[in-house]
Amino acid sequence: MKPERCFLGFLFSFLLTGVAEIQPAHNSLKPQRVHFQSRNFHNILHWQPGRACISNSSIYFVQYKMYGQRQWKNKENCWGIREFFCDLTNETSDIWEPYYGRVRTTLAGIHSGWTMTQRFTPWWETKIDPPVMNITQVNGSLVVILHAPKLPYKDEKGKTVSMENYYELVYRLFIINNSLEKEQKVYEGARRVVEIEALAPHRSYCVVAEIYQPMLDRRSQRSEERCVENP
Amino acid sequence: MAALQKSGSSFLLETLAASCLLLLALWAQGGVAVPITCPCRLDSSNFQQPYITNRTFTLAQEASLEDNNTDVRLIGNDLFQGVKMTERCYLMKQVLNFTVEEVLFPNSDRYQPYMQEVVSFLDKLSKKLSQCRIEGDDQHIQRNVNKFKDTVKELGESGEIKVIGELYLLFMALKNECTF
Repeated sequence: MKPERCFLGFLFSFLLTGVAEIQPAHNSLKPQRVHFQSRNFHNILHWQPGRACISNSSIYFVQYKMYGQRQWKNKENCWGIREFFCDLTNETSDIWEPYYGRVRTTLAGIHSGWTMTQRFTPWWETKIDPPVMNITQVNGSLVVILHAPKLPYKDEKGKTVSMENYYELVYRLFIINNSLEKEQKVYEGARRVVEIEALAPHRSYCVVAEIYQPMLDRRSQRSEERCVENP
Repeated sequence: MAALQKSGSSFLLETLAASCLLLLALWAQGGVAVPITCPCRLDSSNFQQPYITNRTFTLAQEASLEDNNTDVRLIGNDLFQGVKMTERCYLMKQVLNFTVEEVLFPNSDRYQPYMQEVVSFLDKLSKKLSQCRIEGDDQHIQRNVNKFKDTVKELGESGEIKVIGELYLLFMALKNECTF
């Protein structure tokens, strides 16, 4: 459906329903599936256009608040935008607190109602990315340095805050033998520097890592596989 | 090593609890006139069980879907207003007792299968805190607890749903205020 036709259709249905029954037209405009997507505490509000139609002349308005507050706050950067997402990372940075976001749209001067998210608690809902690995070879053994994903927060001194401040994280390291299609867990623990010793010479090894959150029994996706040849 | 530490600290807790019981027994008989302070604390292992942690959070999330009143929050800054850090576990004990007995037990047929498991978990915590007392006047604490209870009762059924929707906050508050 073309945007113009779509808009006319909307206007027609709006006129038909009339002032007395203004609600249905509003409802068909309301943004849908308003929800947070959270990765490493980067909390992005996403939505889809209302049922009325996908019109590129629709603009969106975003508000947010912490659960228990009376006032909704306008998100200035997302006030009258055309995108279907809005970054609320800074507004939802108290990661143990529950938040709400909501969105409405305007089309040809007609406001839709607000569509609200579910209660959103970053600490509970954020998905942690796999660790990043640096591998060096030292005298026939591998030294693996693991980094948890970067967070959007800085402390008072401007230093980045690590993921371990919020979860007791455990790193897991696996060696994969591609020819045998086997993998072996070689390390599980909180240390970020792991040495894998006693590797057979003249063989290649592939290493992969993940992060485990014991408190929630969740694990991240696997990191990319890194392969090295033992001299 | 970790296991040793854990059993060590729970041994300490049990000793504390036992000596506290003894004191209480003596006190009840009018034997000695000692100020009674029992430990208001929970072992952190209570909050390190992923299964029940997930169940509690999921239950809270389910109930919060039915809680349309986003302005009113029961477990928040107001609840701790004027209550010292050292008294907050005692405060949470009162909130927990009320939650288990007045809200969760009567609603135990809802939100299955989560409710059943979460109720028995929280009931256990409540029993573990049964000896928890504080020294001196607790009027200011009682005032906050009563305000909590009154708000729940005023809201009626939706107040009870709100309590269930805040089990996540209850869990975190117990963890923060009662473990050391």
